[in-house]
Amino acid sequence: MQTISEPTVAPDRADGEPLLQVTDLEVKFGTEDGVVHAVRGVSYSLSPGETLGIVGESGSGKSVTSLAVMGLLPATARITGSVLFRGRELLGRSDRELSQVRGKGIAMIFQDPMTSLNPVYKIGFQIDETLRQHDRSLSRKAARARTVDLLRLVGIPNAAERANSYPHEFSGGMRQRVVIAIAMANEPDVIIADEPTTALDVTVQAQILEVLKTAQQETGAATVLITHDLGVVAGMADRVLVMYAGRPVEVGTVDDIYYSPGMPYTLGLLGSLPRLDARERQRLTPIPGSPPSLISPPPGCPFGPRCPMHLDLCDTAEPPLAIVGPGHQVACVRSAELARPEVSAIDVYAEAAEARPPAVAGPPAVASPALSQPNGSTPTTVEEAQ
Amino acid sequence: MSAPVTDAPGASRTAGEPIVRVRDLRKYFPIKGGGLIRRTVGMVKAVDGVSLDLYPGETLGLVGESGCGKSTTGRAILHLQPATSGSVQFLGQELTSLSRRAMRPLRRQIQIVFQDPYASLNPRLPVFDIVAEPLIIHRLAKGQALRDRVADLLRLVGLNPEHANRYPYEFSGGQRQRIGVARALALDPKVLVLDEPVSALDVSIQAGVVNLLEDLRDRLGLSFLFIAHDLSVVRHTADRVAVMYLGKIMEIADKDELFDRPAHPYTQALLSAIPVPDPNRERQRKRILLEGDLPSPANPPSGCRFRTRCPKYASQLTDTQREQCREQEPALVTRGEHPVACHFAETVQII
Repeated sequence: MQTISEPTVAPDRADGEPLLQVTDLEVKFGTEDGVVHAVRGVSYSLSPGETLGIVGESGSGKSVTSLAVMGLLPATARITGSVLFRGRELLGRSDRELSQVRGKGIAMIFQDPMTSLNPVYKIGFQIDETLRQHDRSLSRKAARARTVDLLRLVGIPNAAERANSYPHEFSGGMRQRVVIAIAMANEPDVIIADEPTTALDVTVQAQILEVLKTAQQETGAATVLITHDLGVVAGMADRVLVMYAGRPVEVGTVDDIYYSPGMPYTLGLLGSLPRLDARERQRLTPIPGSPPSLISPPPGCPFGPRCPMHLDLCDTAEPPLAIVGPGHQVACVRSAELARPEVSAIDVYAEAAEARPPAVAGPPAVASPALSQPNGSTPTTVEEAQ
Repeated sequence: MSAPVTDAPGASRTAGEPIVRVRDLRKYFPIKGGGLIRRTVGMVKAVDGVSLDLYPGETLGLVGESGCGKSTTGRAILHLQPATSGSVQFLGQELTSLSRRAMRPLRRQIQIVFQDPYASLNPRLPVFDIVAEPLIIHRLAKGQALRDRVADLLRLVGLNPEHANRYPYEFSGGQRQRIGVARALALDPKVLVLDEPVSALDVSIQAGVVNLLEDLRDRLGLSFLFIAHDLSVVRHTADRVAVMYLGKIMEIADKDELFDRPAHPYTQALLSAIPVPDPNRERQRKRILLEGDLPSPANPPSGCRFRTRCPKYASQLTDTQREQCREQEPALVTRGEHPVACHFAETVQII
């Protein structure tokens, strides 16, 4: 970072100043079928040492958001908004300038450890490279010593020896440890972890989450943890951002999100999770329908067509994020009605089902936008058949 | 190949004859050496002596990490991959020795739903043809009767019969998995082997498919062998649960018994590794972290195959006890309340 000529903001800013400030980030891709509006206005800020969880289903734009922050999207992506890292704008910078920030300022851990390491280089070389890239004065020998330390830190046995192995000689969990070692090599200020444990078994996931915590402690880095697993977020995050159809629909502390969700979507996500700690068999509450197409999203709230509390009002305009409590923002016109103790998905979704028969129970196919409109077909449910 | 008619460990309290009886099932895959003559140089012991019973109307969960042999067990039971040795009986009839032709009528009784709804449906066939195919192969219906039957099946799984002329790509993951279920149900089977049926789906979609499967089981009186790595889903759907590690069953018990009083160190570690979507509980929980990775199933450790990663072996046992773990393979027999394959089984509350 030192090599960038622009006046840098004082390196260690006072607490409370965000490290990373994303404002109104929008990403569009042109495709044959039309413009896909993958991210439609994401704003968040990350303070030093904080862990922000970003949750959402596949296609909600959570990964694209982080790739945009890192400047890793293809040139065909149209990105607008602002990404300030330590007060400096990252959007629109050249790849060369961004290379100084990547790895040193902001590091990234990708989902699939099978593809995020280069198969033709030894893993020791790949870590040395990261170190020497950002510190040209570092000798090969010193770099290797640091590499071995890093490998030991992430729990690789016989680190000095294993540094001479190729990625294919490692299991998935071991490779993800190496990826984490690379991410923490230059003591970054921010680590973005994109589904770091999704490809792994639960026992290995538990190990990797521990390693991630070690990495946070060692580097003091703030973390953005992107995942679809609400269990992982519950244990790791301080604050949570829930994404739906390319936008944040709820932001709050981890307790806000889990114990007093203000958005029917968040409530639905929690209600559709089977619980390991559930005593008796409680029926799961699925969210009907599928996420909307991002090519021609309907006007109004994108969750409207699947929402149990849908009103006509919801179709007129997309509700903005509104403050409902300290640090708790919700994009829903009816969030006040959810602000009651012990609110559960079953109550809300069942009440709503009685009040309003679902319009799109036998959800039409989603792949083609032309077909994704409710076509007035009779709702077919399991209960009806036979 | 007649099987010894003994009770499988962990037999259900439900009275009655098991509908599927598996005894000492083994499935080895040869490892071929390089060179001109590809000799067999070893065996991957994917399934290494599994015994279990599936009773009518119950869901037996089969859980374990990737590579533990749970999917291979499912396929060997279906005779999709012929077993190396052991016995699989369906209502008393031995399946492992049957020819493909002799197996065919029995295929109507046992069907499978695959994990990946994107790979298990032929992309070139419309949904009608996919669901009708088993009925045509078995010559069970044609003409209007066939069309009616397919429409019924689609309605049964919560799909609109009017969409039968669409192709798989026009459906979402959850809907495709429903098509897979409709195809499996076309022949009115008694047993469904569900191989990770919801793990490729998003949670909000997954819940719908889980509910559908539960409804179908109760309404049609099906028995499920539910293979999964997600213990939360298994806790939700299963009646009994078997935990597999490296080709063997480590512990088998009624669902609540297993989740509330796990006795095998592996089950305990597995349960403790699963995050719970509850921040307060999650902050208080202590994880049992396992060392290392799954050993190679080509060369499993001597004695107890879990000992190389066992936290108990590593820190709690005396040297003589460790010797027992190394020398003697623990049998899956009732120790305490239910069958556990550990010399030093001890129930611990994890959740």
